[in-house]
Amino acid sequence: MKIIVATSVAPFVEGGSTFIVDWLGNQLQARGHEVEILPFPVSESYPELLDQLLAFRLMDLSSHGDRLIAIRTPAHLLKHPNKVVWFIHHYRSAYDLWGTRYQNIPETPEGSAYREAIIAADNVGLREAVKLFSNSAVVRDRLSKFNGVTADVLYPPLLSPDQYYNAGYGDYLLYFARLTHHKRQWLAIEALSSTRTPVKLMIAGCADPGAEPYVDDLFRLVERYGLKNRVTILPRWIPEPEKIELFAGCLGVIYFPFDEDSYGYPSLEAHAARKPVLTTTDSGGTNELIVNGRNGFITPADPELIAHAMDEWYGDKELARTMGEAGVERIEELGITWDNVMERLLA
Amino acid sequence: MKIVVLNNCVPFLRGGAEHLADALAAKLVEHGHKALVVRIPFRWAPPEKIVEHMLACRLMRVPGVDRVIAFKFPAYYVPHPDKVLWLLHQFRQAYDLWGTRFQGLADSPEGREIRELIIRGDNSYLPEARKIYTNSEVTSGRLKKFNGLDSEVLYPPLLTHSQYSCAEYGDYIFCPGRVNATKRQLLLVQAMQHCRTRVKLLVAGCAETREDAEAIESTIRKNGLEKKVQFVNRFISEEEKVDWFGRSLGCAYIPYDEDSYGYVTLESYLSRKPVITCSDSGGIEALAREGSTGRVVAPEPRVLAEAMDQLFLDKQKAQRMGEAGLELVHSLRITWDTVIEKLTK
Amino acid sequence: MKIAWFTPLSKKSAIARASAGIVTELAKLADVNLIHFENGDVRDASVPVKRFASAAAVDERTLNHYDLAIYNFGNHLPFHREIFLVSRRHPGICILHDFVMHHFFAAYYFEDQRNPAAYSLLMERLYGEEGTAAAQRVLSGRGPRLWETDEVVRFPLFEEVIRGAAGVVAHSGFLKKHVEACFAGPVRRISLPYDADRSAPHLSRGDLGLEDHQVLIVTVGHVNPNKRIEAVIDALGRLGPATGRVVYAILGPCSPEYQEALNAAVRRNHLERVVRFLGQVPDDVLHAYLSHAGICINLRYPVTEGASASVIEEMLFGKPVIVTDTGFYSELMDGSVIKIHPERESELHIDLARLLEDQALRENVGAAARFYAESEFRADRYAREILDFAWEVRRASPLLGLADRVAVECNRMGMAASMKTVEAVAHEMSALFTGEALGRDTHRTRR
Repeated sequence: MKIIVATSVAPFVEGGSTFIVDWLGNQLQARGHEVEILPFPVSESYPELLDQLLAFRLMDLSSHGDRLIAIRTPAHLLKHPNKVVWFIHHYRSAYDLWGTRYQNIPETPEGSAYREAIIAADNVGLREAVKLFSNSAVVRDRLSKFNGVTADVLYPPLLSPDQYYNAGYGDYLLYFARLTHHKRQWLAIEALSSTRTPVKLMIAGCADPGAEPYVDDLFRLVERYGLKNRVTILPRWIPEPEKIELFAGCLGVIYFPFDEDSYGYPSLEAHAARKPVLTTTDSGGTNELIVNGRNGFITPADPELIAHAMDEWYGDKELARTMGEAGVERIEELGITWDNVMERLLA
Repeated sequence: MKIVVLNNCVPFLRGGAEHLADALAAKLVEHGHKALVVRIPFRWAPPEKIVEHMLACRLMRVPGVDRVIAFKFPAYYVPHPDKVLWLLHQFRQAYDLWGTRFQGLADSPEGREIRELIIRGDNSYLPEARKIYTNSEVTSGRLKKFNGLDSEVLYPPLLTHSQYSCAEYGDYIFCPGRVNATKRQLLLVQAMQHCRTRVKLLVAGCAETREDAEAIESTIRKNGLEKKVQFVNRFISEEEKVDWFGRSLGCAYIPYDEDSYGYVTLESYLSRKPVITCSDSGGIEALAREGSTGRVVAPEPRVLAEAMDQLFLDKQKAQRMGEAGLELVHSLRITWDTVIEKLTK
Repeated sequence: MKIAWFTPLSKKSAIARASAGIVTELAKLADVNLIHFENGDVRDASVPVKRFASAAAVDERTLNHYDLAIYNFGNHLPFHREIFLVSRRHPGICILHDFVMHHFFAAYYFEDQRNPAAYSLLMERLYGEEGTAAAQRVLSGRGPRLWETDEVVRFPLFEEVIRGAAGVVAHSGFLKKHVEACFAGPVRRISLPYDADRSAPHLSRGDLGLEDHQVLIVTVGHVNPNKRIEAVIDALGRLGPATGRVVYAILGPCSPEYQEALNAAVRRNHLERVVRFLGQVPDDVLHAYLSHAGICINLRYPVTEGASASVIEEMLFGKPVIVTDTGFYSELMDGSVIKIHPERESELHIDLARLLEDQALRENVGAAARFYAESEFRADRYAREILDFAWEVRRASPLLGLADRVAVECNRMGMAASMKTVEAVAHEMSALFTGEALGRDTHRTRR
């Protein structure tokens, strides 16, 4: 088939959606389809969005390709007789961030009307889809609540899970994610300070631009708790081979960002390496992947309770292994595979 | 700098402009910039769609970049405070093709109205660019003639890093590239029947249609040219091209009225081989000097045959002309360094 | 909400008077600053007042301090010139006090800008060939000037005042309809407030030269042909002996030429002792005449105003008013005034006779007039409605702003409003953002 994958981008800003788009294109091509990836730059500044939404309606792709897969908002506004939307998040200022201090639309009559226009546009675009998917249950629920549409959950897989392998259950827990406050690596350090076993912690990842103070804070935290010989922080870009090694040798993976929509690639990477995942009740999407006690632990975001979980694995590596294996099963169960994704998207 | 390269897009079709955009992005990155190619869908039938896409481009925004470099209509309508054009072509149907059978737009009140709109739009928005470069004198000439705008010619360099070189001056004229009616390979094949020397012809490239291929094959058959003409009807690899150039006597590139000089011309000179072209081939004029870098002759089979024969008879002259061609390329600084320097100024 | 209220403030301006009353009420509901451009004798206002020397002096920072600007417009250039210029660069709500704004633009282009060509272009742009022809006649100087004849209602030019506005307020359904025919943004009809000073007059009936048995009939305002005074005089002439009981006072300035015609009408009807032309009178005299009036006559044909302050004032005084059944006057509640069909002026004398004979009738209609006027033409009601409209306008502005930006691009490309693309894009905008069927956005793309 000839397939157009359309998405929006903030030029030169890395984000999770670039991976899903590139990997999807890659997988489609590997299966013999002809793919055209179209990233459209979009400015999210107020009040520029309405103009751009209209632009999306005027660009005509309707006579090209057998299918159009729209990923990041507002790509779902493009018109196509065979439009499949794989929705990953709303323009949050108009939705769940409205009414919070993070909204970037002013709370004025103009701002309200602007927001309503955005929602109205989304309602039009989403309803034109022949199939509507979301990348998580969280997003599915938002689509239902705010736009009155029903989406099927379609979880995004890793590009190459086979690259990961299991070298055994070592003595360190791995927290592999961007270094930024809401990922809460600091909570892992705090929790470690309450552990009773000598379990170690490895924190690795790139600092977000402007997050250097946060990285400093992490180091200071380690100092404060006297954990220098148990915590390693690698605040840099980790090349793929090194990353795979880190996952291969860890005891388990920690991933408990605050309230994220999706379970996050680190969770998938963990299970690809057959490792369990430690997350918290307020992490959001991880709670769709992890079942407490089965393929990982879900604890309240309390350092002592997290420490308890950390100690459990250290004390019982067999448990870690069992949970890691269960993770592999869980992934199959939830259809987090490219075969499944292809089948659903191209049906 | 953070740069977005703006080009049009017809999904699933990749042509010279697409390759150029990708090459430019890659070169920008090499020079330490950040570059992203953005392709904007463009539909021109029915004609109302042209206007809708012009408007769509005006409504787009490109945030967080220092500069946009735009290639074509209507992608060059996208607003940005720092916009540079490397104009490959405007919507020619409204300009030099209007009044010919290629005008594309109907000569009806509606068609004329849309044509007016395009001209008005170009006049209104092209000056937004801080600088306009074009890919050839032809394109610049049209821009000046129809829109009164000045521009600087910036030649597109070769896209690949292939090492062109000269191995020897062999006995065949090499003619690579897409085979179709506009490129006129058929004319060269027809010319071969008038050749008096043992000069040969190698046509290598994918025929666009079955008819194009048939025309050449049947001409070869009917005139018993099997020993003199080789027709390789397929996509050829870089290695094959470099090799065939390297061992050729010279190159023939005789398209009808093209804007640009064609990469083949550059490839030939880099291989130190002279180029035979025609007086009506268009943009190649900028790189072809009759008698000094090759031949510029009338598009007639006998005249072409004579040109090919003469090269065969005087290989030293062929060498001199080939080297003069290389000189010319160097003197015109047709390099990516030049391009990047100008586009990022 | 922070509102910048632009208005004339001169004591000679009726609009200034209305504004003063409205902003007093509006200030109870919002943060209002009154902005004006005048020297000399200006009214007091109960809200903070900012005076600027000219439109140019009103800088962007000042304007951006407010959530919304509201501009008051009337047909008199000196009072509204600077307001007009500010409104051009900073869209806000335009309050159209007058339907016909032709005199304003005539004065602007001929005297102020000395650019008659611009006047022609405007007429052409708004009214096509007929506009061009009419402008030609004006420029050639042949015949009476367009804005001094009834023809002017065909070329009102209010369209130019409201072009690009964020919203328009009209004071009659009549004007609202005209506005909606050419303006695609929000439009609201709000009844013009008026308050009348109903204290006892300083001058008695005797002071005005009225005998006890006489009924005073009053017509107030600039004496123009469209006030139909000749018709009134002729109607009075047909009353026969009843005219002995009538004094008809006309209070308002009149041009010498027209005065001649009216004098002739008086003479031919032998009403020299009945009709009095008093010209422009001081406030207290006017107040006295209105207080003592038995009947008010307030005819208009054709209508040039958006609404009529004078009739409202007369109604607030509790007087029976005879009006022409057209424009704003048609919208007055039946029974609160006496409406005469424009084509039945010849029967005016019948209604006059009835009113003259029947004091109870006069009193009933007068009471109904007062009751209706007191509830309808109130400043506090106006303030509430215009504030409500301000919210509506602000909510409409993102999409209208988009329509305007699209229109700008269409104009830069030289797109004619009739092109299919315009319709297609307008339709797309409506369908996408409002879910409504194509509305009025096409109009925005007209120049």
